[in-house]
Amino acid sequence: MAAYIAHYLVMVGIYTILAVSLNLLVGYAGIFSLAHAAVYGIGAYASALVALKLGFGFWGGLVVAAAAGACAAALVAIPSLRVAGDYYIVASFGLQVVILTVFMNWTDLTNGHAGLAGIPRPRLFGLVFDNPFKYVGLSLALAVLTYAICRRLTDSAFGRTLRAVREDEIAAQAMGKNVVLIKIVVTTISSALGALAGSLYAHYITYINPSSFTLDESIFITSLVILGGTERLAGPVVGAFILLAVPEALKFLAIPDTVAAPTRQILYGGLLILFMFVRPEGILGRGRAKSA
Amino acid sequence: MTIEKVSKAFGGIQAVEECTFEVPRGLITGLIGPNGAGKTTVFNLITGFLRSDGGSIRYKGEELLGLHPHEVEARGVVRTFQHLRLWGKMTVLENVLLGCRTPLGENALTLFLRPGRVRAEEAAARERAMEVLRFFALADRAHELAEDLAYPEQKLLSMARIFATDAEILLLDEPTSGLDTESLHRIVPMVRRLVEHGKTVLLIEHNMELIAQLSDEVVFLHQGRVMARGAAERITRDPALTEIYFGA
Amino acid sequence: MDLVLQLLATGLVVGSLYALCALGWGLIYGTTLHFHVAHGAVFALAAYYAFVGQKLLHLPLVVAVAGAVLAAAATGLLIDLLIYQQLEKRGAFRTSIFISSLGLLIVLENVLAIVFTPDPMRMDIGKLNTALIIGPVFLTYLHILTLCLAVVGYLLLMAFLKWSRWGQAIRAVSSNPEMARTVGVNLSKVHLLTYAVGSALAAPAGILVAMDVGAEPFRGTRFVLLASVAVIMGGIGSIPGAMLGGIFLGLLENLGIWKLPSEWQSAISFGVFLVFIVVRPRGFFGRTIHSAEI
Repeated sequence: MAAYIAHYLVMVGIYTILAVSLNLLVGYAGIFSLAHAAVYGIGAYASALVALKLGFGFWGGLVVAAAAGACAAALVAIPSLRVAGDYYIVASFGLQVVILTVFMNWTDLTNGHAGLAGIPRPRLFGLVFDNPFKYVGLSLALAVLTYAICRRLTDSAFGRTLRAVREDEIAAQAMGKNVVLIKIVVTTISSALGALAGSLYAHYITYINPSSFTLDESIFITSLVILGGTERLAGPVVGAFILLAVPEALKFLAIPDTVAAPTRQILYGGLLILFMFVRPEGILGRGRAKSA
Repeated sequence: MTIEKVSKAFGGIQAVEECTFEVPRGLITGLIGPNGAGKTTVFNLITGFLRSDGGSIRYKGEELLGLHPHEVEARGVVRTFQHLRLWGKMTVLENVLLGCRTPLGENALTLFLRPGRVRAEEAAARERAMEVLRFFALADRAHELAEDLAYPEQKLLSMARIFATDAEILLLDEPTSGLDTESLHRIVPMVRRLVEHGKTVLLIEHNMELIAQLSDEVVFLHQGRVMARGAAERITRDPALTEIYFGA
Repeated sequence: MDLVLQLLATGLVVGSLYALCALGWGLIYGTTLHFHVAHGAVFALAAYYAFVGQKLLHLPLVVAVAGAVLAAAATGLLIDLLIYQQLEKRGAFRTSIFISSLGLLIVLENVLAIVFTPDPMRMDIGKLNTALIIGPVFLTYLHILTLCLAVVGYLLLMAFLKWSRWGQAIRAVSSNPEMARTVGVNLSKVHLLTYAVGSALAAPAGILVAMDVGAEPFRGTRFVLLASVAVIMGGIGSIPGAMLGGIFLGLLENLGIWKLPSEWQSAISFGVFLVFIVVRPRGFFGRTIHSAEI
């Protein structure tokens, strides 16, 4: 039982990293991305591959993961953010699809559907993180780090500029802000952080395959952000706690496996719609004043 | 700043045609003309929001045409908007802070690697922002949301934030529109004081009287062409121009 | 050479499907500025409407298909009426509309997956399955029908927009909603109509695919993504552009298979899309939506 709770907490930590980094993008910058699962996957595969093929440890893998996530995001962001945000939605959608295709079909590198196994556990000064309890600390530490990084960004002139760009980007340009650059930067940072979560995941489960990084997963992460609230940076933590408990709840209801997956998706999709009506800022957000 | 033969056509409509005039340093130049004369289009062209079909705009020896808006601002030319475009959901102070120079705080790298200098920069910016707010008599509203301000104060805020940028050339788009006479008495002296502080002002204004009072020089635009320019007194008293203005 | 001709033919057929989706999606996006990803759900639903009509209600194929198109049009209209317009009344941002659309796409697709299972549901298409061999190219009558329907759909849409009063209202709203409103156009009704027409265009695409390989719940996601790419490449606000974009994508995907393994199809389309928006964000014929529009 205790091991189970520890596992739950590790996953909450991982998803907090994913959701907070996505919140930076969607909530603060107002840029919608459907590719966060792809970025998560890039981090996981990058870290796993350098560990398996080049003998890197977990810590090296983290750095490589962040770099890989950043590059992938920049590659897509630079052409599409110069134009309008809607172009980025399509581009991120496309990135998600393409990355998944790469995971599934570049079998020489990724082993395709079979996935990569035997990913080494993290080591720190001789301590091996080989059970959920030890991992909880690591996961939560990285989650707090991610939050701290995002917080530093949002509480600064950078964050102020982001909010200004989000509210009225023409005014921001007139006041000397390089709108395109800041959007690209925030997209890159958000993706680098999301990729960190991937690395953490890979070395925890020690096995990864493409099915963890699909569009459904992007939707799930988005639900975390919406549920938890885009107004507060920490909002998604609440979302993570709640939504990660859902699959377990469904198991309680003895729903057959074949129906369980679509049912979960219906729940997440339904949540998205519901929250747009009831409370666009999510659970933690300030109530929206009736706009004039 | 010199504007030379600048043109802009939209589809079949020539909004601005071979527009040429000068904005002399340290003076208030009024840009007037009937509705649809192309005044805001000229602002958009100067500040890089629209691409010109030709001509040149030079300031301090540099060409402004073809630059992005944020690059134009960096060169020292800044504008307000007719519809204000304040950041309503942000505070008055934040609106002005966004005009202050905070390059270290806006750069993700220096933000993390040079926290001490960033902190100092932010503190200096806040000081400056409060100073600017005091200059515009808005200091006591510093922490209110911009959207909660009364309209005349919002107008002042839109001037305050561009003043904070230290740009030399201020383009004011209808700074007095929608104001009652009482509020006018707050805004008009502010515009004079801007010039006293060494700024150069180009303003779009509809009120002929106000232009006569406020401007040193006037440029009269009609159907995208410069009809006349010169001393404010002369232009505003010209009967032919007045007729175009009211007749159009 | 034979292979290339075959791929070209297949490309045109697939392109026709993308074009139909793109025409509908582009019409909706150009007029309402809603990023209506739930269009993919309408695409999928249309297929199932036809399937249910034929297999469960035992209607003749033509009736089932016609009924399905109407039902799809109604579905699109209801989505706007019950969801998007309601959100807009509450002052929702465009991002919120998109998120609700995404949620709706997920919900509808998964409901279909539960009700019908994820396996393809096949229909009886009788004679349409007959093969036609033109030189080295192998096509079925269904494929020819697809090509024809895309062309017919395009022409009908162009005629509708040009000559009918409602079509002109749609064009007015598309180019300048504020102006249209001031001259008395009822925006809400025009939006509903746009959704109905747009969905009615996506329906044949979904049904044709279902007739070929069976109805599947999740296929719509891919089609709506490609439709949006086609519209952007063709140029937002341009109907001919959407048509061209769709056909271009179909050809691109299939000719790509000539040299690259078929699993890389999406990567090709997406890669081309990225290059495209760097080089010509306006698309073939359209206006760029710059985030800065004064």
